[in-house]
Parts: sequence; structure tokens; C-alpha cells
Amino acid sequence: MKDTIAFWGYPHPELIKKIKEEYKNAKWLDLDIDFGAKNSGILPENYCSVMKNIFNNAILNKEKIIKILAPVGKDKCDCALFAVEILKDLGFEIETSVFEEKTYKKENCPISTSSLPLRQKIELITKNIIEQKDYSHLEYKEPTAAFWGVPPNDLSILELFPNTTHVLGWTRCVEAMAPFDLELEQYCMEGIKTVFFAQTFCAKNELAKYLANKYNGLYIDMDGFSSNSTRAKIEAFLRLR
Amino acid sequence: MTKYFLDAGTTWSKILKVEENEKEYSVIKTRDLKNLNIEFEISTGHSGKFGKNYENEVVALSYGAKRYNDGVILDLGSRDAKWIKFNDGKFQDMDWNNNCASATGATIEMLLKFYDVEVEKLIPTKEKYSVTCGIFGLEKIMDDISNGVSPNLAISKFITGIAYNAYNFTKKPNKIYLSGGFCENKCFVESLKLFTEVVLLGRYMLVEGLYNIYLSQTK
Repeated sequence: MKDTIAFWGYPHPELIKKIKEEYKNAKWLDLDIDFGAKNSGILPENYCSVMKNIFNNAILNKEKIIKILAPVGKDKCDCALFAVEILKDLGFEIETSVFEEKTYKKENCPISTSSLPLRQKIELITKNIIEQKDYSHLEYKEPTAAFWGVPPNDLSILELFPNTTHVLGWTRCVEAMAPFDLELEQYCMEGIKTVFFAQTFCAKNELAKYLANKYNGLYIDMDGFSSNSTRAKIEAFLRLR
Repeated sequence: MTKYFLDAGTTWSKILKVEENEKEYSVIKTRDLKNLNIEFEISTGHSGKFGKNYENEVVALSYGAKRYNDGVILDLGSRDAKWIKFNDGKFQDMDWNNNCASATGATIEMLLKFYDVEVEKLIPTKEKYSVTCGIFGLEKIMDDISNGVSPNLAISKFITGIAYNAYNFTKKPNKIYLSGGFCENKCFVESLKLFTEVVLLGRYMLVEGLYNIYLSQTK
């Protein structure tokens, strides 16, 4: 039975609103997340883990998916354009979206700057793309560290950070409802130890490495799951920096 | 009271015994650790997670080598490479190579065994392979040897490639303080000197660091 609306990235808020009204009882599935779905084998083996998640989740849930909301603008990477073509060819109904304007942008990002554990912060931010709950009650916490980047495929690395970690980069842009705000994406805090993360094979590595050098942070390029050494590197950086 | 500190690498384990402020260092094969009846105060390393307390390797290195302020401290072992840099006694930068780990000590040990070459007989060379990873390096060695290059020279070129990688990986510093098993590989040390000044720290920086951590905790 088809009862699920799937999506990746941050579909345009008007599109989400329209689909919510159209399919009031539908379940929502974030295709970006690694739920352990079997490898569909559609994409090359050496490829972005998040893009592989999109295909693996879509194929696994094909019988349930009503349609896929597919951001294809500068708010998502170029891979999305090709993904749309392939998924259409595989029989999925796709509704594309471009969310590049800043008219929805919020000044405050209470989740990113709260004292919640970092993993919870990032899970709340991604969940809130669809839920759109108000988190302004969360109190601001002075940062001692920062995490810059997209939600990693391996969310467990976020558990290495203290609760006083602020969220920066694209994830912060998502909370601010401005997924294509390059100025906000590059916002960093001088003097705060920051881990700059990008998923292997993602174009954001370009920015992550550059900003890590600029702000004397730690650049992490990670594929599917973190190795012991990657975890130890983050741990050492947070303790020694 | 006697205290033991352990840096258990993939192939070799370094042990520091401290008794009445007297220090004694030893190295054994990691696979023989299980035969020791010793309780380690703090341990580190890929195979060291069975001490009373486990410490991160980069943190151990930093506590062992903090006084070396004018260069990069590079620990190069059989499996990976990690480095740290201080400025005025404060942490400045670090990295830990965990992807191309096969291009370090374990690969060289395998090559020496495979081609029956003694490490002492290797002569440093300015020629080098571009060793982006050990597997690509192996392919070049095999190609060269099948074309008549001696295994000694081919392995030396591989080692120069690793030295060049280490130099680039540490962001091309003017001076490298070298820690780990590679301090005992003369060919590697001379190859690294082709690119930068090298000061040898020996194999025990990490266990020294563990002891310093112990001292700071028990003060």
C-alpha cells in the first residue's frame, strides 16, 4: 500500500505544505538517513554515502512510496539532478523543488545553539524540516566547540562532542530555513574549536577543508562509517585544541 | 611500587616500567602480550585496549612530546601516521592518517620478508615512487623488479615515497621530530632528511606520554 511521502534535502516549504494538505495521513520518510537498507547496487560503489542512502531507501520502500519530493536547486548538490532522472526511469513519481530564496530565513537557530546533545540537535533539525515545531524555548548555551557540515551518515560521531557544541554549516542553514545561504554556511566562530565535516565524494569537502585551515579547525572527510582512528582524531582534537 | 605503561601497536608493543623513579623500556611482539602477567596503569595503541585505563594515541603523543616546540612531532608506526604541533607549549595542529595506513611500516616489513632483503642493506635514494597508497606502491615495485631493478633499490624508492608522503602529510615543516619504529630504519630517516631536518625521538614517546599523564593525574 502506498502511504509514504519520501524526500531528500530540504524540499521547498510551500511544496511540503501542499503535500501535507493533499496527503493528510501520509507517513514521511527522509531518504538521506542510513536505515541500514540493502545496497541497491544502482550507484557506483565508491560514491557519496548519502546519495547511496537515497537510492537504497527508495528501492526498499518502493511499494510504499507515493512520491518523492526532490530538491534539485543549489540547496542540494548536483547529484540530485541525475538522481531524479534515474528514479523517474525506475518508476518513481517525483516532484522537484528549488529552495534558493532567503525569504523564509530565521535569524535565530535555537536548536543549533542549545545545550542539547549534538546528535539530538542534528536529529531535531532534520526532523523539523517536515514537523516545523517551534523550539524558541530552548535556551542559548555559550559554545565551547562547533560542528560544521551536513548530518553525517554515521551519526554516532556526534556523540563524541560536548553538549556545548554549536551546529554550523549546511545543517545550521536548514534550521534557519535557508539551505542555500552561502554566507550563513560559511559562518564560523573565531577561537572556538570546530570540526569541519564532509561526506567523502561530496563537493562540500572543498569548503570544509578551506574553512578548517582558515579557522585552525579539524577537517574530517568520512565515508560510510567512522573508523576507530577517525573517532580518536576527533576526540584528541576536542581535548587538545 | 612498580607501574607499567603500554603502547600496543599493531605489530610491536612498547612497555615502560617505572620503579622508584627508575625507568626501564622494552619492546615485544604484540601477539606475545597475552603471555605477560602485568597490569598496565594506562595503555594506548590499536591493540592496547586491555589496560586499566585506555588513552587516545594522539593525546599520549602530545603528553610525551610537548616540549618540542619548533617543529612537527610525527609518530610513524606499522599501521598509521599521526602528527601534532605545538606553539609556545599550546596545541596548534594535528592530523592522523587512517586511510592509507597500508603505506607505512607493516608494508615495508612485508616487502623485506617477501624479497628477502635486510633493512640494514637498504641504501637511501633520491628516486621515489608516488606512493598514494601501499597497494599502488606495491604494483610499481613489482613492475620495476620484473624490469630488472634490484629489490633493494625498489624498496628504497618505495621508502623515499613514504618519506615524501610523511613530509607532505605534516604540511612540509622545517623540522620533524620523528617518533616510532621508523626511527630505527636508517634508510627511511635518510630519505626523510632529503626533505626536511629530522630529529629522532625513538620508539617510546607514547609510553612517556602515558607516564606524564599518570603523573599529572596523581599530583
